[in-house]
Amino acid sequence: MRFKFNLITLSLLAISGAVTGSAMAADFGVNKANTSTVKQDTFQCKHCPQVDGYTGTIGINAAYIESDDIHSGNAFGTDKDGANASLDADLNYQNGAGYKAKFQAHQLGLDNGFAHLEAGKSGRYELVADYQQLTSYQSGDARSQLWYKDGMLTPSEHTQIQELSLQRNKAGLGLSYGRDFYQAYVRYDHENKTGYQSSSIVTPRPVNFGLPVDANSDNLTAGLSLSGDNWATDLNYFVSQYKNDIGALSLPYLYDVFAPAPDNEAHQISLSGQYQLSRTVMSGRLASGKMIQDDDLIQMSGNPIQNWDGEVETLDGKLAVTSLVSNKFRLGGSIDYSKRDNKGSVWEFAQFEVNGITGAFKQNVPLDTERRGFKVHASYRFSGDYRLQAGYDRKEMERSHGDREQTNDDVLWAKLNVRALDDIKLKFKASLDNRGGSEYQTSELTSSESNPLLRKYYLADRKRTAFEAKFNHTPTSWLSLDMTARYAKDDYDKTQLGLTGSEDYGYDINLALQLNEHLSGYAFAGQQWIESNQAGSQSFSTPDWSADIEDEFINLGAGFTYTGLLEDKLTLGGDYLFANSTSDTLVTYDVTTPQGDYYSFNHSLKLHANYALSEEMALKLAYQYERYYDTDYAQIDVDTVPGLTTLGDLNHNYNAHQVMLSFSYQLR
Amino acid sequence: MMNKCIITKLLCGIFAFACLSLSVQAAPWNQLTGEQLEQQLAEKFAQGKYSKKGADSCLMCHKKNDKVMAIFDGVHGNPSQPDSPMAGLQCEACHGPLGKHNKGGKEPMIAFGKESKLPAQSQNSVCLGCHNDPKQMAWHSSSHNLDEVACSDCHNIHTDKDPVMDQLTVNDTCTSCHTQQKSDMNKRSSHPMKWDRMTCIDCHNPHGSMSESALNHTTVNDTCYSCHTEKRGPVLWEHAPVTENCANCHNPHGSVNEAMLTHRAPQLCQQCHMDDGHASRVVQQGGSDAFGGGKSCLNCHSQIHGSNHPAGSKLQR
Repeated sequence: MRFKFNLITLSLLAISGAVTGSAMAADFGVNKANTSTVKQDTFQCKHCPQVDGYTGTIGINAAYIESDDIHSGNAFGTDKDGANASLDADLNYQNGAGYKAKFQAHQLGLDNGFAHLEAGKSGRYELVADYQQLTSYQSGDARSQLWYKDGMLTPSEHTQIQELSLQRNKAGLGLSYGRDFYQAYVRYDHENKTGYQSSSIVTPRPVNFGLPVDANSDNLTAGLSLSGDNWATDLNYFVSQYKNDIGALSLPYLYDVFAPAPDNEAHQISLSGQYQLSRTVMSGRLASGKMIQDDDLIQMSGNPIQNWDGEVETLDGKLAVTSLVSNKFRLGGSIDYSKRDNKGSVWEFAQFEVNGITGAFKQNVPLDTERRGFKVHASYRFSGDYRLQAGYDRKEMERSHGDREQTNDDVLWAKLNVRALDDIKLKFKASLDNRGGSEYQTSELTSSESNPLLRKYYLADRKRTAFEAKFNHTPTSWLSLDMTARYAKDDYDKTQLGLTGSEDYGYDINLALQLNEHLSGYAFAGQQWIESNQAGSQSFSTPDWSADIEDEFINLGAGFTYTGLLEDKLTLGGDYLFANSTSDTLVTYDVTTPQGDYYSFNHSLKLHANYALSEEMALKLAYQYERYYDTDYAQIDVDTVPGLTTLGDLNHNYNAHQVMLSFSYQLR
Repeated sequence: MMNKCIITKLLCGIFAFACLSLSVQAAPWNQLTGEQLEQQLAEKFAQGKYSKKGADSCLMCHKKNDKVMAIFDGVHGNPSQPDSPMAGLQCEACHGPLGKHNKGGKEPMIAFGKESKLPAQSQNSVCLGCHNDPKQMAWHSSSHNLDEVACSDCHNIHTDKDPVMDQLTVNDTCTSCHTQQKSDMNKRSSHPMKWDRMTCIDCHNPHGSMSESALNHTTVNDTCYSCHTEKRGPVLWEHAPVTENCANCHNPHGSVNEAMLTHRAPQLCQQCHMDDGHASRVVQQGGSDAFGGGKSCLNCHSQIHGSNHPAGSKLQR
């Protein structure tokens, strides 16, 4: 009887709520709670489990790698063949006084690994420390007869086998302190980058070589945030410095043949804020910055200055407003502004190639840009089942010394979310983008005789249409299916020379399964095609040659996890991934000539078995297989083309294996 | 009298059984629409009829549920943390006042996650009640908020480890919706996100930012320069599309071409350079000359991002 009465009361309340209730979205924030009848001293949490002290796992791994190509180091974390060891950790600490700490480490000891530490008292202060080593491997077989030492590239008849890889060592420290309405924070990061990367010098013959890299970057950010009931503000100062330890490179018979990336620094001060007025929220930011480069220039005859006063002043601003006009209707908009003002001075420098127009001297050109944006959007919820969003974006870009002084983009877009069908969610998106601008005038910068029919694609008139459809189906609690299809077309309608059109379409399917309490799996497949065409003219008139570029990408993957075997002690898992990237270029000049093979494929298989020796200790055996193949028709041998010296064929084709034994210990 | 006793005992038995097999999907208030649910919960919230013993009251039924108990492994379930909900209204801080929910479990409570019928805005109002700090300053105008993504769509509270707070699992959460970027990671060249050495949040802020595409820094280029500081310059001889936008030539998520270029040299370069010299010359056979082999145009024009050499106007030095 009592239940029936309560149900009636509830429904009456619901009805009355619908008639007289607010049309605004509910706000369940704890700061808005009606706690008039709450007696909090009775909330003793007697049945709450105490989780004080240390929790987490710490593990040590021993692995054995068999690979004959350092490129596999990208997957395994290190390029070193044979045995290696590393440390993993995932620890937490909390105590009754409110202090908490977290430490995470992954593959510490390998060339790719990180450690992260957080410690503090929430609501008071927090200390963060990070360390990361990031190494990317390009090739271990680059062949070069140029030997580098202290700024000198010495040619020799002995060929060195060079490793092209880049290693970053990063360390960071941060501290934040504050309570309630204010918070002050500071963070410092330091990075040292070393290695060799593929580059080229003109002697005047082009010679590819391994460019040494040894540089340091330092970033510091500090700020103060203040917040109130319905407002917040943040004042931030950011400074970044780059120092290159590699100077100008010279050959014994040709000095200063290659200039290094110059030391630079950047500063930025920004003020941002948010203000909430009932159902409307306004947020904005103003940032002013400077990028400075006044490194010493290479001294040569015809260079009038010791160092350049390179300075770019930047100014960025944004103001955004969004308002929940009613429970169903939201309206919003934003304006943004971004300016880059190059204040570096202009000088005349002697060039090595004599230009028929400017002679031996050329003036440097400081480039300025200014960007203005305006957006407006609305969304309306028809019922629980349909929601429509639509908007208009406009972007105006102005640049100095460009082929086209001003370009503007107008985008009209709409999104529809449909939840009308049981367990099915549909999302549709469509957009139309039209780019136009001021008159296109071929610029003197790149060539005083640039073909007037050329339209650079980032400046050219363009019509872009794009569609996307997403389908999500959860027919049962253990199966989830996602499918997405995309199509986009770029039509550079006024372009006769240059990129004339591009089509980008594809799909992907994702499946997630939870077959029973112990067995779960996933599978996915996706493909993408990008087709572009461009036209060229080598007779300096109308188009006489064209190129069609057909990119194709496919990736497939599947995996499973099986827990609870052998009395809940054994867990098995596996992951497989296949990816194939292809790009075929067909050049048509009288006849159509395919350019050659340019593709790469990769199979990756991971299997593991985790056995719990006891409640705290576990042993894991893992196997990883990497099959990688790539080919590039441009990768030619060192002396194949007379006059050009390359680093050799840097293509990859390998099978690599890794077996890893891990021992982990769980605290508590 | 006797019948009432039997009925009461039966009901208690059914009630206890219902408690044991509790799951959000079998919510008894599923027949309500999202709007009706929201209205009912708003009324309940305004009335403020909280439980007598806080978490102890809730745990009387819910303590057998692993997911519920997992909250005590994290910060939200730690009563010694002064800002934690467990130090305040406990379970009801987020799930709203108990009201008559404990009488049969039929009265709705605020629920989160993909099965919740409560609109994302209302779900998020719970989180924003505490987490309304400068870190979320750009949230309200962000794409995620405008697309009605709920905080609980990405964050997991009833757990010791929220997957988005861990470098090794955050990419999986982002790519569960952003499937194009998931595929891009596996292309011939991409940032090392496939192996979780870099994450989506190294460049983007999922809570929104005042920059385009919710980037961490003011502009696209500033975000790229935060790691690729050597390209910041400014330098004497600049390459205009480079200083305007790195994305003019590169796709930061991945590409079928090396160096994450949208197209390869010489075709990419010839989309902008068509003069009366060698730039407009058709490269008919790849790999047979310096224009189509080795580094193609970059065999000579290696300083493609700009040069600081006094004689480097052609970006060769």
